[in-house]
Amino acid sequence: MTLKVYAHRLSQPARAVIVFCKVNSIDFEEVMVDFTTGQTLSPEFKEINPMGQVPAIVDGRFRLFESHAILSYLATAFPGVPDHWYPADLFTRAKIHSILDWHHSNLRRGAMPFVINSALGPAAGPVLGGPLNPQAANEVEKILRASLSKIESLWLKGNAKFLLGNFKPSIADLSLVCEIMQLEVLDEKDRERVLGPYPKILQWIENVKSATNPHFDDVHGILHKVKARLQSRLESTKNSAFDLRMKPNSKL
Amino acid sequence: MTLKVYVDRMSQPSRAILIFCKVNGIDFEEVKIDVTKGHHRSPEFKEINPMGKVPAIVDGRFKLFESHAILSYLASTFPGVPDHWYPADLFTRAKIQSILDWHHSNLRLGAMNFVLNSALGPALGLPLNPQAAKEAEKILSASLLKIESVWLKGNAKFLLGNFRPSIADLSLVCEIMQLELVNENDRERVLGPHPKILQWIENVKSATNPHFEEVHGILYKVKARLHSRLESTKNNTVDFRMKPNPKL
Repeated sequence: MTLKVYAHRLSQPARAVIVFCKVNSIDFEEVMVDFTTGQTLSPEFKEINPMGQVPAIVDGRFRLFESHAILSYLATAFPGVPDHWYPADLFTRAKIHSILDWHHSNLRRGAMPFVINSALGPAAGPVLGGPLNPQAANEVEKILRASLSKIESLWLKGNAKFLLGNFKPSIADLSLVCEIMQLEVLDEKDRERVLGPYPKILQWIENVKSATNPHFDDVHGILHKVKARLQSRLESTKNSAFDLRMKPNSKL
Repeated sequence: MTLKVYVDRMSQPSRAILIFCKVNGIDFEEVKIDVTKGHHRSPEFKEINPMGKVPAIVDGRFKLFESHAILSYLASTFPGVPDHWYPADLFTRAKIQSILDWHHSNLRLGAMNFVLNSALGPALGLPLNPQAAKEAEKILSASLLKIESVWLKGNAKFLLGNFRPSIADLSLVCEIMQLELVNENDRERVLGPHPKILQWIENVKSATNPHFEEVHGILYKVKARLHSRLESTKNNTVDFRMKPNPKL
């Protein structure tokens, strides 16, 4: 029975799992669950993941949620996954866990609400979404910036190609970069303002892309479509004095 | 060179590390970092952990922060740690990682902010914030419900129905113990509806005493101080914002 990956490509951690599987030729079926329309809250999906979130996997009779746990499980369970993704070396592995743990309350805590409050708004769906909120976006932008700063100064020191100065990417590189990629839905100016001061971050993103393309670009294709929709809606809202509150588009 | 564990016993993840080491007979030196005095922000400590947070460990030349990473490292590195703490079985291990990951944005987020805003704030120079406490309580209660319905189903003694505790049990229970700091009514209101949680806490205590009680001793002392101050503040209509007590 093939591995099933329950995902939506607008979800940063879901993308990390999909890119990982494709890069490592892990045979899987991608099952789209649309959190933007509340499909993740359905009783059927709650059978798969009682937390009602993507990503989640079903491998035979084994079910698992939380992307970091999924990534380390896949790296360990599937033959042929190169060691650099989740090194067997105890010390490197511990450091990778440390980065992934830190991510929850730092990079993700900043980046996710920043993108939702400044661009995605209601398009993020009934659980995560809400009206655009520049005030809230400003607050979390501080957390985002502090996180980018910390990544550069701590894990991308010197000429580091990947986190911890590793020569090849680990699941930590993939997870964090997929998170930062969410900023692609912002307009150019905002994205430049936020990421511009961090050249090491920008180079690191390119390194991760190179190491995982064409899959990385393919999986992230959705972000450009979403950005285009958001911008055309903003334009038509400006033009026609509508209620600024956009209804979620089930096709997003 | 002995393992050094940098902790503040007021920190839930710090307590999990201390208990884990003591229960498993791991030789270590406890280096106290007083967060209320700002020790965690000192340049010396930032050499140990650039994030300026506890817990952190130094094992020879190896430095590590983030309690979940520390717990799994210790379980893997030190001989004689029984398998149940961090099972070698891939599937159980993955499920434990899943719980620990979920913890950050759910139980910890709810519990930490609830305790901070309804009781502990002033010890850190922050005002109490009943509105924020209410918001946090929703997340906390939802998390307790999830733990009971997903991981403590049936007669489960420990998470996932395991017969012995894992690092996930220890980490999550140390978090919930922080509720010892809030007043009786609040604590009862939050935990009362969750008998499985209460039983599970007792199970973890039984499995790790006397170390669990000893490490948590600080909470009872701090609670007494916090509540006597709150009482005297009410009595003297002074500015609610209490100055941090260096002795806390």
